[in-house]
This record gives sequence, structure tokens and C-alpha cells, in this order.
Amino acid sequence: MRLAALLMTVLLPSAAAGDFVRLPGQAAFTSILKYTDSDGKVPIAPFELMTTPVTNAQFLAFVVTHPEWRRGTAPSVFAEARYLSHWGGPLSLGAAAEAAQPVTHVSWFAARAYCEANNARLPTWSEWEYAAAADATRADARKDPAWRDRILGWYAKPANVPLARVGQGSPDLHGVHDLHGLVWEWVDDYAAMLVSADNRNQADPDVLTFCGAGALATDDRENYAVLMRIAMLSALEAHNTTGSLGFRCARGASGDVQ
Amino acid sequence: MNAIFPVFTLLLCGMFTLAGCSRGTSAEPPTPGNASAVAGAAADTGGSRKGDFGPPQGEPIKAVLTSPPNVPPPTGRSAPAKVIVELEVIEKELPIAEGTTYTFWTFGGTVPGSFIRVRQGDTVEFHLNNHPDSKMPHNIDLHGVTGPGGGAASSFTAPGHSSQFTFKALNQGLFVYHCATAPVGMHVANGMYGLILVEPPQGLPPVDKEFYVMQGDFYTVGKFREKGFQAFDMQKAIDENATYVLFNGSETALTGDNALKASVGQNVRLYVGNGGPNLVSSFHVIGEIFDKVWYEGGTRYQENVQTTLVPAGGAIIADFHLEVPGSYVLVDHSIFRAFNKGALGILKIDGPENLSIYSGKEVDSVYLGDKAASLASVSTAATSNAAGTLSLEEQVAAGKSLYSGTCSVCHQDNGAGLPGVFPPLAKSDYLATQPKEQIVRVVLNGLSGAVKVNGQDYNSVMPPMSQLRDDEIANILSFVQTSWGNSGERVRKEDVTAVRAATPRAEGAAH
Amino acid sequence: MKRRTLFLIFVALACACTGTLTAADLRAIPGDSVYRFDATLSDQSGTEFHLGERRGRPLLVAMFYTSCRYVCPLIIDSVKGVEHALNETEPAHLRFLLISLDPARDDTAALKSVFDKRKLDAAHWTLARTSESNVRTLAALLGVRYRALADGEFNHTSALVLLDREGRRIASSEALGATPDPKFMAAVRNALEISTK
Repeated sequence: MRLAALLMTVLLPSAAAGDFVRLPGQAAFTSILKYTDSDGKVPIAPFELMTTPVTNAQFLAFVVTHPEWRRGTAPSVFAEARYLSHWGGPLSLGAAAEAAQPVTHVSWFAARAYCEANNARLPTWSEWEYAAAADATRADARKDPAWRDRILGWYAKPANVPLARVGQGSPDLHGVHDLHGLVWEWVDDYAAMLVSADNRNQADPDVLTFCGAGALATDDRENYAVLMRIAMLSALEAHNTTGSLGFRCARGASGDVQ
Repeated sequence: MNAIFPVFTLLLCGMFTLAGCSRGTSAEPPTPGNASAVAGAAADTGGSRKGDFGPPQGEPIKAVLTSPPNVPPPTGRSAPAKVIVELEVIEKELPIAEGTTYTFWTFGGTVPGSFIRVRQGDTVEFHLNNHPDSKMPHNIDLHGVTGPGGGAASSFTAPGHSSQFTFKALNQGLFVYHCATAPVGMHVANGMYGLILVEPPQGLPPVDKEFYVMQGDFYTVGKFREKGFQAFDMQKAIDENATYVLFNGSETALTGDNALKASVGQNVRLYVGNGGPNLVSSFHVIGEIFDKVWYEGGTRYQENVQTTLVPAGGAIIADFHLEVPGSYVLVDHSIFRAFNKGALGILKIDGPENLSIYSGKEVDSVYLGDKAASLASVSTAATSNAAGTLSLEEQVAAGKSLYSGTCSVCHQDNGAGLPGVFPPLAKSDYLATQPKEQIVRVVLNGLSGAVKVNGQDYNSVMPPMSQLRDDEIANILSFVQTSWGNSGERVRKEDVTAVRAATPRAEGAAH
Repeated sequence: MKRRTLFLIFVALACACTGTLTAADLRAIPGDSVYRFDATLSDQSGTEFHLGERRGRPLLVAMFYTSCRYVCPLIIDSVKGVEHALNETEPAHLRFLLISLDPARDDTAALKSVFDKRKLDAAHWTLARTSESNVRTLAALLGVRYRALADGEFNHTSALVLLDREGRRIASSEALGATPDPKFMAAVRNALEISTK
């Protein structure tokens, strides 16, 4: 009964799983990661992406129905001690976490479980990178210094001030909000970021370390702003959480998981 | 992080082996007795080949870390030790100038980061802790580390995490450390650098005071001293167009109450680093000559140096003895950086005067060349002013002399100016209609842009005359306002003082 | 005490027979154990097993794929190196599990072929495959990073991961080759001593 009441209050103000929007994809998207195996081009099939990052309220609804993902219950191998540590309790947001703020302090495992429970998945890095290339009028605005400055402006903001609510301001061309300027976001293949830990070593990939083509080379000069996001993801393990790291879900173009 | 680790380990192992081979024969550290011989003569220290003095001895020691401008005490050890360094990365908003803040990324909460002091041959267990509130991952490259990336590959650390790696300090010297996470330039431009001193085995010669100063260039969206929060400007950084060039991360880090302090008779040592990211420093202390400079932070010193280069990502040690009290100004002698971008610090020396070395000002007279006029009236006015008996007549007499020295080149002896270029002061409707404060302001701050005087448009530049004392300006204006058909008010010293106090120092005002 | 032991044995036997783990079984596993992930895998002979069934003995885990020509054979060599470095009694207590990164191509037959070609000992060795989603989760749990390449190859890190008897990661090594990293070997021996007490 109490749970039901809680669910009502949580679910009513915002859509349970979040709103998805369709992105057309691109046959040969140029990634910042200069994939040597495919000449830096990645095919992006049409897919659907949540218009905003998952909020505290949405994630609360998830842990209400999935007790194994509550703070204190989720095993540490899936979520480190800081998991949802900014919430008031395992089933309450408290004063420090607003319902409409993006949920942070979530592990990759938890983010993945949330998306699965909502018949979706985490986006791949390529999908995320493709979506994030857009601005209000163009699908690929990455050459525009204004696009880059927006990212750098966020980097310059200290992390100890409260996060904004999701969906503020105007969406991009595809109708997606907050890909830049709010939080880092988990991607499904975060572990594919085989970037050398010393980012200055790009000319000298350590071929013995990796099977096959070696560490990914990156084009530092043009795309360092996005590179920072890759550096962040490559610094994390799947059970890690940080106060600036959230996620959103994706799914196939017809609404199916793939 | 995994990527480089095996290689790093292999290399370090290789070095241990090498050191093990040579330890019995020629790896003896220089003893204190021959230290000066080593520094002065051509004998070399052997570098890293002779920097391994064997395994650490005794209990591990926790390194003393200090915030700038403080320096940890000498290690005082004669044997290699295991030294544990705990350095925390904190991202925080701090003042960069008065009324202006910036998001700094710091090692230890300050810019530059905490000073680390170890002894050559020490084994340093380095812990890099990235605060949980950080937004960014960070790492550290210490120029004193022998190994790939200088530790960067082994210390890549996400927010709320710690990394640990260990190195042996094989080379003595003063080394820069900095963050090497992409975009490297941005991390450095945000203040992620500091100094690690690897003392020679015999230590450095003792001194009375040691200070830690580090230069850095900063790039903000707003102009120099624009108030409020200022964001990083990547394009300016790429263009190497610095908004600020600062010592210790703030325009006020080494000025006012924060000035470095020492006394006559003391030996002072400055550990000066340059974090960059872009600019090379021409480091100079106005009024001092460095007795010794360990240039490039290395083993040898040069003597009797006026200005020394500190490369971005490099450091120097400078020693000097203090003879004369007063304020000494630390500058980057690429001098616009000092007076227009903030690269200024003060070293305040107290103690008794030593007039045989420096007399102080003995004569202060205006030299006018062929425009010389009798300056008796000026000194009369100054005396009366001091006595509080200054009359208008004395003011006008003194003002006439000062006018002919300072103003008449442009405004002419007869106050007529040059039509179309320099506005007339004689029978000036401008002087008749503008309030007294505005006229004082023009002298103090200069005037540029369009003005209309006696029906004619002028559009040129008058430089600020703020080098004149308040009573001098009062005298000049009293003279002008009562001459050549003007009938303006007498101007008193207090009027000028009030205006000067109410006027913020103009950007780039002459010094 | 004794009854509890008997009960655990019973549970273990029950699991081995039925091939399922109950929610209660999972909760009995420490929170920092990889065995909290209830994945079903199948071995080189097509037999299905639960990851959690490996609980009770130390386990050396690595990820590889059979069509890999360069580093992956080295991974098997490295694991063999650990096996050979142990004396004759110790291997009885250490199990080796290699999981394919490439379930699309590494079917049971492919695993079997490598298993036979490398003359692996079925008493200690398992080559296994599982779903692509499980591969991603397992890689995350083991700290292995990988990316599928356009030509079907994989970029991947090559860690040997040592799990203690409860499934906790206690050591890992990226040193490849027949001579194991001494530090890693020390951890292996340490784990075995604990487990045999």
C-alpha cells in the first residue's frame, strides 16, 4: 500500500521510462576515435534514444520495483559504496536529490539493469557520439567552434554545485536534450574505450598490450572536448559511480531492445 | 592504465638491475665535502646512473607537503628512505583577481600544487587521490620520474578514486609536475602543476628563508580583471593570447598582505617554476641581483644574474642575500605581462637602512631641458602646502612652473593648444562648463575620444598624468583656471585626493 | 556447525545436479564476488554450467577468442605457464576458465578444437562461451576491455584474473608469456594455501 502510494507520486509527474525519439542514423559516421579497422567510419543504424537523461524520480521507481538494485542491497561487485549515496535513503530521494535532476552515482551495471527493465538498452558509444554531434539545426555541428565551446563551458563549471533539472532549454535537431552540459553518461560499450592512459602517447600504441590493432588513436587537436568524455569513461570500472555520471537508454528503431 | 603498466614495470626493473651492478663500484654519492667542487668544476654527478643509493632504509616517511609560497623543511637525511606522498586533486572556484573567480583544477587545493621535497635516491610511493566531487579524471606526470609518462600512465584516476605508483628519484634537481590528461593544455591552464625538489645527497646550502613561486598563464573569456566568474577560453589558449600571467595563481597571491617577507641580512632562496601552459618567463626581481641561479633547476649554478629564463615546464632555484630594506618586485620581465597581465609579486624586506649601499632618493628635481623654469615657486608651494598655509598665489605660481614642464608641449605656453589637435585651455568653454571633479579626472586618467571645445571638434588622446602628486595637480589646475581669461575655481589638493580615491586604477595605467 | 557444512554440501550437490542457483544461493555469496552474476555458460563439450558453480576453489579466468592469431594463443600459454609453475599437488586446487569474447563464431566445436589442439586437461581447464550480453557483463566484472573490429577481430586487454574461492578478484596480471609474473604467482600460491586449509 505504501509502496503503491510511493509509486504513484513518483510515476505521475514524469513518464516512467522516459520519452524516446527516433534518430535516423548514418551509413558512415566519422567518429572522433580514429578506428583503424574501418577508416574511422562507423555505420549507425536508425535507433531511438531517450530525450533526457534518466532522472532521480525515474530511477527511484525502478528500485522500488527492483529491490535487488536498492542502495545497500545491490552487491558491491555491481555498485560501489557511493552508489546512490546522495539519496536520503534506499527508497527516498531526500533533500539533496531533486526528482527532476538526472540520477548520478549509478554504476554501469545498475544503468544497464534499468534500461533492460524498461525494455531498452544503453546506447553504444557510436550512437551516443552520433547523437551528440547535433546542435539545434544540424545533425553534425562538430566543426562549429560554438558546439565545442558549449562542452568546454561545462568542463569549466565546478561539480560541487547542484545539477540542473533535465530537459531545460531547447532540444537539438532530433529533439534530444542534455547530451552536453549536464552529466557524463554511461554507454553500453564503455569498456571498448581502449585509450592509452597517457593520452600523449597516441603516436605510439603499445601493440603488445592489445590483441589486434592496438590502442585507439584519437584526433586530439580537433576533438579534445569529446576526448575528455572518452578519457572519463576509460578511467572507470563498471561498478564505479561519480556525482557527475548518469545515463540514458536507447532501443531499436521500432521500439524493440536491439 | 593497464596499457602502459607492464612496460613501465619492465623499465623500472631494468634500472634496478643496472643500479645493482654499479652500486659496488662507482655509485657512491658525492659527500658534502666535495659538493662545491662538484658544482663548480667540470666533474659530473653521473646523473641517473649514479642516483641509486640502494634500497630505502628505516621506516617509511610521510612527506611534508606545503602550500605556496611555503617550502617544506630540508629532508636532513643521509640515507635513502621510502617516502609516501599523498596528493589530492580538488577542482574548486578561487579568486584569480580581485572580484574575479575561475574554476581551478588543483593538486592539493592550491595553484601551484603542494610542494614536494625528497632526497636523491629516495623511493617515492605516490598516491594520487581524485576527490569524489571532481568532475574530471586526472593523472600526474612528474618530471622527476624516470619512466614512461613520468607516472602519467600509472596514475589515471577517476573522481572518487586513488592511484598508486612508486618511483625512485634518480636525478637531483627541481622538477615540475603537472596533469597530463587530455586535453593536457586545458588541465595545465587550469592550474594543475607544482614543483618537486629532489635534493642532492648532501642537501642544498642552508639559507634563512625559502619561498615557492610558480608562474602560469591563464585564458579567460572575459577581459583582464573583468568581474565575476570567468570561464576558460580554449581559443585564446591555442592562440597563446594570455588574459592573465600570474605568480601562484592569483593577481593578489604575492601582493599586499600576501607579500613574501624577509629581513636585511638574510639569505633568501626562491624555488621558481613555470607551469605554462604556453609562456616562457623572464624571471627578474626588481632591485636585486641573484647571487646564484641553479638554472633550469639543475646541478650547476650561474652567479650574479639579473634575469633568468624559466621555461614552461621548467624551474630554477635562485639565492640572494638581502642588504637593503624595502619592497622588491618579482616580475616576468616580458614587462607587459607584469603591469598589464598580473605577473607581479612583492618581496618585503624589513630592517635597518644601509645608506652606504643604497642612499634612497637624495634629489628629486624636475629636469626640463631647455624648457627649464624657475622651480623655486614649486618648492615654496610644497612647503606651504605641508605647513597648511598655501595661498592661491603660491598655487598659481607653482602651477605655472609645473604647467610649463608637463602640459605646455601640447597645450602651448599661452594655453592656445594646437587647433584641431590639442584643445585650447585659454578661454575654454569646456573648462567653464565641466564640474571641477571632471577636470581633475581628465588630468588623472587622461581623455580619449571626441570632445568639443570652443566650437571645434577634437578627437585625440591625452595620457593619464597620474604620476603627478595631488598637490601638483591642484596647483596646475588652479593656475589654468585663473589664467588666459578663464574664471574657474581654485582647485585644492583635497579635491584631487577625493577624485583619485574614487577612481579605480585604469587598466594599463602608467607606472 | 556440522549441520551447516552438511547443508552447504547438499546445496552444492543440488546445484550441480539441477544446474540452477536460487536467489537465496546468490545472496549467500559475498557482495564483492563475481559469482553474484548468475550467468549460464557452456563448455567445450556443450555442457551448460553456472558461473557460481565454480565457487569453492580458486579460479584463474581470462577472456580470449579462438580465431585470434596473435595475443590469444599467448593467453593460453600464459595460463599454462601458471599451471606449470605450480608443483604437482597444487594444480588440483586451481581451475582455469577461458571465456570467449566472440560467441557468434566460437561455437562448441570451435572451443573443442582449440581444447584438443592445445592438449588441455579437462580436469582443470574449461573453455566456455555465453551470450553476447553476458560477455559484456563478465568482461566488466573482470576488468577486461575489448572492442569488436570491422574485420571480425577484437581489440582487447589480456588480463589473467585470479578469483579466490568465493569469487573475489584478488590479483590480475597482464604479463604475457610462458614465465608468469612472480608477484602474480605469489598471489596464486597464497590463494591455494588458504583454500587448502
